[in-house]
Amino acid sequence: MNKAGQRASISTHGRDPVDDRELVQGAQRGDRDAFKTLFERYHRRAYALAVGVVRNQDDALDVVQDAFIKAHKYLDKFEGNSSFYTWLYRIVMNLAIDHLRKHRRAKPVELDETRIDNDGDDPLLPRILGGNPGRALLDKQIRGRIDVALDELSENHRAVLVMRELEGLSYEDMAQAMSCSKGTIMSRLFHARRNMQKRLLDLIDHPSAELVADLTGAPAEAADLEDTPVNDESPPRRAPAARSR
Amino acid sequence: MTRPSTASTDLELMEHADGELTDGELAARIERDPEARAKLASIEQVGALVRGHLELSADAVPDAKLAAMWRRIDEQLVAPTTGLWSRVMAWFDRYRGHVITGAVSAGAVAALALILRPSAPDGGVPGRAGGAISAVPVALRATPEIDALETPGGSSTVINLDDEDGHTTVIWVTPADTVEGI
Repeated sequence: MNKAGQRASISTHGRDPVDDRELVQGAQRGDRDAFKTLFERYHRRAYALAVGVVRNQDDALDVVQDAFIKAHKYLDKFEGNSSFYTWLYRIVMNLAIDHLRKHRRAKPVELDETRIDNDGDDPLLPRILGGNPGRALLDKQIRGRIDVALDELSENHRAVLVMRELEGLSYEDMAQAMSCSKGTIMSRLFHARRNMQKRLLDLIDHPSAELVADLTGAPAEAADLEDTPVNDESPPRRAPAARSR
Repeated sequence: MTRPSTASTDLELMEHADGELTDGELAARIERDPEARAKLASIEQVGALVRGHLELSADAVPDAKLAAMWRRIDEQLVAPTTGLWSRVMAWFDRYRGHVITGAVSAGAVAALALILRPSAPDGGVPGRAGGAISAVPVALRATPEIDALETPGGSSTVINLDDEDGHTTVIWVTPADTVEGI
């Protein structure tokens, strides 16, 4: 099942009660305010998806802009078989993947995605950074390392990881979105997660003093996330919530 | 005690973590195995870190940038498309997939017609001697070999023919249409 509609949107806290379907119908009749409301409802969520795939802020903004223009252009073809956002994220995803193809600097080196090693040499790691990923994200070093780790994943691995973790898509939905088999999706996701673990591993072995203080419950830094800025440019408004399943 | 130490078992753990596998026996095994529980926690933590990081990145985009983006989108929405050329281009944009498919199909038919036409006797123009063109099936030396080929944005079929004129390859491209209505 597609779980995209089950999560709160980044930009929909305190959303007004107007249903997406009504807004889509309004936009289909030419109501630009209705379309603007849809834009405001989903622009940040679409951006999170795009930047997760293309890994560049300006490119991600371009992808989101093009996605909304394309969505509006083809809105009369949208029959409501899925939610508006499900339709939109597929447009965003297609444009993001197209963008990567067009701007590919070098042919990516991919693992054989049709198989998953059964020799146990490279299993998932039973190690975790700490009990509270939300707090860990207050650490600039960790956020920088997540960025680097995402950059280093292959495009396909990253796209699957982002779709799964950000949108909670099922394997079947991801297979449809990426025009490949469910087995390939599972393999990509497995390798992506394992590679992320490996790349974040030395954070576990050599955590920063700030992180140790935070995770061991030191006062002051363990303040309410709502009020604690990560840095001057990016104040977090809320901690990432665990997705309910 | 069963220890999930192989990647195949790790794959089951992953499916379990993603809600793709509802196996009571597996859940019980995970419950009994501290290493499996740690791996499960690790999968969830990587997910939470990626999700949280991207959501915070999205929250950090200045409102002014998004407002500017809306202005650019809005300009596109109101841009008149009343000119003939604009309407032609709009039609082409909308039916691009069909146009490309049609063009490729026509090309493939033309290629097959060239393959199947009779050879010209005595240097004459092929097919003109008797007025109407008479297509004669080519004697194939072997059964045509047909393969699938993955191409960006679509799929292709590759047909390899060995006939009396030699070896011929026909590539038939079908563009993908992956998003509803587009």
